[in-house]
Amino acid sequence: MNHAASTSSKPMTQLALRKQSARSTGNTGKTVLSYLVTLIVLLPFLWMILLSFKSNSDILNNPFSLPETISFDNYRRALSTLDLALLYKNTFIIVIVTIVIEILITFMSSYALSRMIFRSERLRRSIVALLLTGLAIPAFILLFPVYRLTISFGLLDTYASLIIPYIATSISFNTLLFTGFLRGFPKEVEEAAVIDGCGLLNLGRAVVFPIIMPVVATVFIFNVLYIWNEFPFAVTLISDETMTTISLGISQFKGRFNIDYGGIIAASILLIIPQLIFFAFFQRFIIEGMTAGAVKG
Amino acid sequence: MIWLSKRRYILFMLLPTLLVYLAYIILPVIVSFCYSLTEYSGIGAAIFVGLHNYASLLGDSLFWKSLKNTFIVLLVAFVLLLPGAFLLALLLNVKIKGGNAVKAMNFAPSIVAPILVGLIWVFILDPQMGLINVILKKIGVDQLALQWIGGTKLTPYSVGVVFTWQMIGFLATIFLAGLKMIPRDVYESSSIDGASKLQQLFRITVPMLGETIKINVVLIITGVFKIFETVLLLTNGGPNHLSEVMVTYMYNVTFTSGEYGYGMAIATVTFLLTMVFSLVYMGLSKKNIEE
Repeated sequence: MNHAASTSSKPMTQLALRKQSARSTGNTGKTVLSYLVTLIVLLPFLWMILLSFKSNSDILNNPFSLPETISFDNYRRALSTLDLALLYKNTFIIVIVTIVIEILITFMSSYALSRMIFRSERLRRSIVALLLTGLAIPAFILLFPVYRLTISFGLLDTYASLIIPYIATSISFNTLLFTGFLRGFPKEVEEAAVIDGCGLLNLGRAVVFPIIMPVVATVFIFNVLYIWNEFPFAVTLISDETMTTISLGISQFKGRFNIDYGGIIAASILLIIPQLIFFAFFQRFIIEGMTAGAVKG
Repeated sequence: MIWLSKRRYILFMLLPTLLVYLAYIILPVIVSFCYSLTEYSGIGAAIFVGLHNYASLLGDSLFWKSLKNTFIVLLVAFVLLLPGAFLLALLLNVKIKGGNAVKAMNFAPSIVAPILVGLIWVFILDPQMGLINVILKKIGVDQLALQWIGGTKLTPYSVGVVFTWQMIGFLATIFLAGLKMIPRDVYESSSIDGASKLQQLFRITVPMLGETIKINVVLIITGVFKIFETVLLLTNGGPNHLSEVMVTYMYNVTFTSGEYGYGMAIATVTFLLTMVFSLVYMGLSKKNIEE
């Protein structure tokens, strides 16, 4: 039908028509395929959810059947074995303190590096380069020295033992984002404010900080996620049970629940869901942060 | 901004960041290297042994095993993950109903804590109760129900698959950003000239994605050399350290066996390998583009 119609029209419309029909049929196929691929990617999550409603003997012997009655037993056991409140409390105390400090100090240094005039331009450039090298330094090489440092500062098993390395490992990424943004932003507003008698502190607080709010949001959300998920430093620096963070808690499931697979699965679901909700809310910032770090780093 | 650029202002603004950074990033890298030249068990003083640790690495079969395993993961990532992410990006580049939700859902595995990823995949890969073998046994092909984890051979391949699952949405997003930068008229004029879809893919899309491919390859290399939690959860390097990758081996030598000097030698080598691989790759691809 399309063919008959297109042969009678002018060449340009012919092309457009053919393209349009190709796109609409192609889209149905591609839509179905996209949904299918997505389903496969989500399968591990769905499998966990299915298992979480089954008894331990069903998980081992009859995992495929749909649960006959939806039982929340696993969740009940998970909640009684696991001190979820403690895990979240520890993690979020660390998250908040880390992020407030890191944003403040990296914002200050990035501002100085992109706006202030250094006596030597080469010095400024080398400081920026030094701060960015961190993007290429993997955390595992830092573990043992940081562990020694933490002992010698007497900080083992304190919040600070994790807060300082988390601040340190965020510096490169934050510097990248802040200096990148400031470079692309005109400094006339700030100059006008200074001419009107604005001091350094007020300039930062009232003029610049509001301007860079979108980047701060990206940095903030990206770093929340990083600390939430961080494991190598936590397992190295924390041994006190009352200081356990979320990732660390998960690594101890096997020991804690022994062979109670239902309990392990339910506990995992209880920790995945808040994370997925967080992601759903802030996906734009998270994806932006992750791709910015990757593309520019 | 000359008014505010007094030296003590600059110092005040830079000092906190520089202090933390030097003490917790730069100094540790140097310290790691220094420890790698010593023998140190945590008690007493570290004894300087020169390059002895590096020499022992050469004769350490477990080190070679962990190196080999890391390369198997890398291989799986290049075979599955890179083309997979590219195809996924091509698929997601078409406007479909619920496209944004689809993109987000494919991205989701990369934001889940790696330690949870490991735990989830235990229930997929476990030879007895894992999803894969349950399905295989259900459809009657028991001989295909292999020891995906915990055996002597397959663990690193499985780790590669898990890594693929983790990263595919993330890398596809980067590919998508690259695809968006290719101007549409290139495709339009080439299809007027009679280029087929396949020709367009290999003559336009792939070459114009050069930079993006480069980024993703480097991300894969650095990502694979950082794998830690997945192996820890799936097998903890066992049985008999056979499924160890470089980072888990380094961790076990350092913190479980307490051979700190030797552990830092492994850490240094791992770090250098990552750098060399990324840099060599970037150098090679640069040459290709210039030619």
